[in-house]
Amino acid sequence: MVEASPVPQHRPGRRSRAGLGGAAAAGTAAARVVAMEDFHPHNDEMIFNADEAHNIVKECIESVLGKADYNHNKVNQWTAAIVEQSLTHLVKLGKTYKYIVTCAVMQRSGAGLHTASSCFWDTTTDGTCTVRWENRTMNCIVNVFAVAIIL
Amino acid sequence: GQRKQDVSFSEGAAVSCAHLPAPVVVGLLVRFKAAAVKECIRAVLKEKLADVQYVPEEIPQLTKSLSEIIKDRLKEEGFERYKMVVQVVIGEQRGEGVNMAARCFWDADTDSYAHDVFMNDSLFCVVAAFGCFYY
Repeated sequence: MVEASPVPQHRPGRRSRAGLGGAAAAGTAAARVVAMEDFHPHNDEMIFNADEAHNIVKECIESVLGKADYNHNKVNQWTAAIVEQSLTHLVKLGKTYKYIVTCAVMQRSGAGLHTASSCFWDTTTDGTCTVRWENRTMNCIVNVFAVAIIL
Repeated sequence: GQRKQDVSFSEGAAVSCAHLPAPVVVGLLVRFKAAAVKECIRAVLKEKLADVQYVPEEIPQLTKSLSEIIKDRLKEEGFERYKMVVQVVIGEQRGEGVNMAARCFWDADTDSYAHDVFMNDSLFCVVAAFGCFYY
């Protein structure tokens, strides 16, 4: 399997991933014709894997917030670190998706917090994943939205 | 009196995935303009949340309906080639701190986002709307 780089290359939903990488590098006319066909992954093969994203995000939250207590001065760094790490790991999966990752960290003081989202997209290929995490002093909610790139 | 809530929303750098070939002429498209979207969000929040109090039983439904209303309004604005995500967060005003961040991996030439914050004595509301171009 071709190693995924931070910038996504085109990955067809099925066969010849290594072949596509080779063809793009070679850049000959004949190879490009083959590559162009592979640029249209079928919708039924591109499905957002919410479980995978859930695990990735959960690990990122644990690594950043782990045993920390709510600290007003650090919370900026924490939210930034969580979204950055989550995004990096999601991109490393190498799928042709655009990602939006949001994170809210809140002090636990008994106040209520509600979030909702509404999306206008292709339900067969695009998806979302929400991870809720808490410890003794704070709550954390991370949302991942994945929008497929179909060319 | 109540302490002013500290609500901050920071947007991270949008990373560009511009290595993808772009067969569409991007110059002619109606872009997801942050200013217009923010105005739209602000108008909806002002209209729907003006005198609303934080009532735990009603807020889940309100959050959901707000996100749908805003999404429908944005569809009417005419961003035809855009897939959109609208996220609404409503919380009780108790003076504790909240911090929200977002990072996006997309095509910075075509994709964009806008956000707005509404506060009254009883609640705060943060809305973020993201638009992703589909080629």
